[in-house]
Amino acid sequence: MKRWMIAAIAAGMGVAAALGVAAVAATAPVELGPPALHDETVPRMPLDLGVGERLILVVDGVYDTQGEAEEAAAALSFGELQGFYVAQINQFAGLREAVGSTGSWALVSSFRTQEGAEEFAALAQAAGADPVITPRVQSLPGVFTGLGQEARPDGRGPLTVSVPASAPTEVPG
Amino acid sequence: MQYFRRRKLRAMLAGGGLALVLPFILASHWTYVDWRDEHRNYPSRPSGYNQIVNTFGQPCNDNANAIADRWKAWDNDRWYDFRFHRKLGGYRTTIVPDQNGRSTNLDNDMWGHINTHHDNDHVKSGIWGYACRYIDGTSSWSTHAWGIAIDVSASFEHVGHYHSHVNGAHADTWERHRWYWGKNFGDAMHFQYADNY
Repeated sequence: MKRWMIAAIAAGMGVAAALGVAAVAATAPVELGPPALHDETVPRMPLDLGVGERLILVVDGVYDTQGEAEEAAAALSFGELQGFYVAQINQFAGLREAVGSTGSWALVSSFRTQEGAEEFAALAQAAGADPVITPRVQSLPGVFTGLGQEARPDGRGPLTVSVPASAPTEVPG
Repeated sequence: MQYFRRRKLRAMLAGGGLALVLPFILASHWTYVDWRDEHRNYPSRPSGYNQIVNTFGQPCNDNANAIADRWKAWDNDRWYDFRFHRKLGGYRTTIVPDQNGRSTNLDNDMWGHINTHHDNDHVKSGIWGYACRYIDGTSSWSTHAWGIAIDVSASFEHVGHYHSHVNGAHADTWERHRWYWGKNFGDAMHFQYADNY
């Protein structure tokens, strides 16, 4: 075989290999979201329900159905940040009276301190929501509604335990 | 003769108009006439969770929201108040009051560059910084929880897309000041002082 033919075949194989690599790279799944989402070493915090605790809620609307509530939550953009959670209104004793609505589902986020609730309400307003802060209501068993996302009063990190004002009381049977 | 009179009249009108408009044109420069790019005490940009904690402490600690600033959104004329980490600003300069901050990064240098380059018309509604919150749909801390992330023009930049509508105009300024642009992972409103997280 002539030398030029060998060179041509080698060049052809090289180009084919390069195209193959490029094709694989182009079709490789792109990882959306911050790298922390795809890093198993990044800590996940426990989902704290605070059952029995007297919590302050930031509420952005009450809806008749879960679908309507989820649609309303999806319409609010907090960027990469967690916004409101969708929960049944009867997950909190006293919430219905606090919001004065007959709906069954609400957009909520729960807090142990007034400062935490006010901080999130300000963020929600910047994101276009019109939230209200409730008086303390008792948390009953249900879904996670964001408890733990507020600062400790001593400024040393996130607040992951109850404070005197939120101390748990007996959950009605 | 009448020709020269008309020219004189036109010249007077043009001169008068310029005299009226010039102060408004120069006003934006005068606002920041004393601004200096200081580049004081920037921390190294951490990479990954452990380095973030080593550099900035625990999430939601009291340094994470120690410094306050407010930026005006160009599209709705609203001022957005936000807070961020002590190591990224609050150092006294000609345009920033002393907040016992450690550096001049965000409130002096970044904001000064954005204004002097007239990129503030690309700073639009939906601006926030520190937030003691998880990443959406997870229970892992967002970089906002350390006060090392700023979302800008959130009403115009949508999560889940690798293109930018607004923030591209000033993204290089952020990157030159050690900020990492979230557009790289589909979040063009987001700038964070960390990577690999």
